[in-house]
Amino acid sequence: MRPQWRRMLQISEPVLTRPFWLMVTLAALGLVLCTVREFVGLHAVTALNDGYSWGLFKNFNVTTLTALGSGGYAMALLTYVCNQGRFHSLMRTALLTSILSYTVGMLALAVDIGRPWNLFFMVDPWTWNPHSILWEVAFCMTAYVMIALDFENLAPLLEGLEDENMPKLVRDLAGYAKRFVKTAYPYGVALALALPTMHQSSLGSLMLLGGTRVHPLWQTHLLPLFYVVMAFILGIAFVELVLMASCAVWRRPVDNRLLASLSNIVSWTTAVWLAIRFGDIAMRGQLGAVLRFDFYGILFLSETALIAVPAMVLRSESRRLDPSRAFPWLCVLTIGGMLYRYTPTTIAFRPGEGYHYFPSVPELLISTGFIALAMMGYLFTVKRFAILPATLEMSVQAAVTKSIKKEKAA
Amino acid sequence: MNVDRRTLFKMAAAGCVGVAGVRKAHALAMQSTDDKFGLLYDATRCIGCKACVTACTAANGLAPEPGPSAGLYQAPEALSAHTKNIIKLYRSADGSEWSYMKQQCMHCADPACVLACPLSALTKGDFGIVQWNGTTCLGCRCCQIACPFNIPKFEWSQVNPKVVKCELCRHRLAVGKDPACTAVCPRQAVIFGKREDLLADAHRRIAGNPGKYFQNRVYGEHDGGGTQSLYLSHVAFTKLGLPDLGNRSLASGVREVQENVYQHGITPVAVYTALVAITHRVWHKHRQHSAQEAEELGLEEQI
Repeated sequence: MRPQWRRMLQISEPVLTRPFWLMVTLAALGLVLCTVREFVGLHAVTALNDGYSWGLFKNFNVTTLTALGSGGYAMALLTYVCNQGRFHSLMRTALLTSILSYTVGMLALAVDIGRPWNLFFMVDPWTWNPHSILWEVAFCMTAYVMIALDFENLAPLLEGLEDENMPKLVRDLAGYAKRFVKTAYPYGVALALALPTMHQSSLGSLMLLGGTRVHPLWQTHLLPLFYVVMAFILGIAFVELVLMASCAVWRRPVDNRLLASLSNIVSWTTAVWLAIRFGDIAMRGQLGAVLRFDFYGILFLSETALIAVPAMVLRSESRRLDPSRAFPWLCVLTIGGMLYRYTPTTIAFRPGEGYHYFPSVPELLISTGFIALAMMGYLFTVKRFAILPATLEMSVQAAVTKSIKKEKAA
Repeated sequence: MNVDRRTLFKMAAAGCVGVAGVRKAHALAMQSTDDKFGLLYDATRCIGCKACVTACTAANGLAPEPGPSAGLYQAPEALSAHTKNIIKLYRSADGSEWSYMKQQCMHCADPACVLACPLSALTKGDFGIVQWNGTTCLGCRCCQIACPFNIPKFEWSQVNPKVVKCELCRHRLAVGKDPACTAVCPRQAVIFGKREDLLADAHRRIAGNPGKYFQNRVYGEHDGGGTQSLYLSHVAFTKLGLPDLGNRSLASGVREVQENVYQHGITPVAVYTALVAITHRVWHKHRQHSAQEAEELGLEEQI
């Protein structure tokens, strides 16, 4: 019988493994460099300059990586709006990737801004400029990561607090909180859907401000639409990749059918995205720029190939059903999508006047440090809380084992 | 009275500057702060003496940038955190065509930097000056991404970095003085005044010298939605680094895209309400199903 994911179950393995220590090292290195940056300014640590004033932190850790972390948004849209209850067992994995990628993204933003003490004014409505796209992005992201995502991620934590080893008061409080979460869930989910729709599209609108300095193959009034749809695609693809990798590493059964239907959605959405992308380029009369085969033309073609080829390959059902064959293609698609999100901000951004930007080593290390921090969070959480999907048999077995242990202890 | 030539020159110069200074200061005091003031730079008059560059550095308390002169001269190479105003030379490849170019904030009528600034640290202030207020600035540098002229600069090496850009010497205007660059220009290549007066002056020059000026037009009259720094030149504006922006401001285009989607905040509220309605139904159905299943299996329900 094919394994079917129905419930969530933690990995019973110690947290402090060798890969975890590697992540701790990378994160610590990044953190040390962040501290150094606070004492010496941005110039000594980064390659940022007056032409390319946004670099890796803002354009990669926030704009690109929160698209990967849009799984919580995309999966909630499928599960709770499109009424696809079968994806429910994947929601916790998706929400975990979201909260981790957004949290480290916001931390990277705090390191990137030059005058962080003025962040205090984010709570002072009299200084707000609601017409500013960056204000909207900052506001919606903060609300998302501090309210909506926390609310959505409460369930596994509360279940953990309801454990028999906990004091009675904690268990009771957790029980009340769980009842509240169950009642208020639709309001939280709706907020967690509305906010990313706004800020993921506004991350695209930000580059509208680049005007003619963003190459015409990327600069279009449809940037917000392209950005939010790409976040949807990347979010799902990343959840799939995380699940496939986790199941391979921890030897858990894979629900091939469920993953295949996600790949199917990814493939179709990508096809629609590409159709609009080419339609927009044709409408703006920029097809010539594609065929000029200059740097930007070739960049566009490679980027599009990285997105289009996997989408086409994943049309084959047998390939979708085999994770070992779907995995590499989903990886390629993810790289292409990330490249699309990154290109208008840096590679196709042309400030002129001889400005150049290539991230410095400390900048790369800080950026990696934040990714390692998210990985640490992932490794810890899936081993302590019921996050990763499991079959009914596994859940029943785990419950039986637990009760046997309890009896033995008694 | 024994007056030699040198003293006579000095007296004449002092008299001219004094009269001009008083007239200008008086004119500004009489103006409403709503009036737009700006600069008119005529590239055909500029002799590239860079007196304005030095004067700007001094008037704004900026550190000199000796550049490649090894500490000898004030010789900045580009606008930077220490240079708010610069004179550059454009020369064509064969050397047949050349011109000086003055670069500083354009003080746009509808500035993209002001639209971009999340906490209103950049605003359009008195006399239409685009000004920076460090109290609320986050140092996010969105102004640098947004400015089509690459004007705002950032103090990258500072722990307490500021955004540096020309503010039309508003501290000098407050005490009745002209902006430093216009006050020292020996050829009146750059002059300060009310935008409409400057435009009239520019059009008089164009009318008086047919064929002298590029396209017989003033850059900034309509470009990018209009700017308060205006340019006359004998070579193409793009060669001087003034981009071809069309007559519409970047900010108005971006605002339009945003407003079409957001409809003054109605869209987000409507979307949220619709989402609550849908998820409420789906969630309820899902809960019933999962509670039943958990009961059958004797397991806890998982949200």
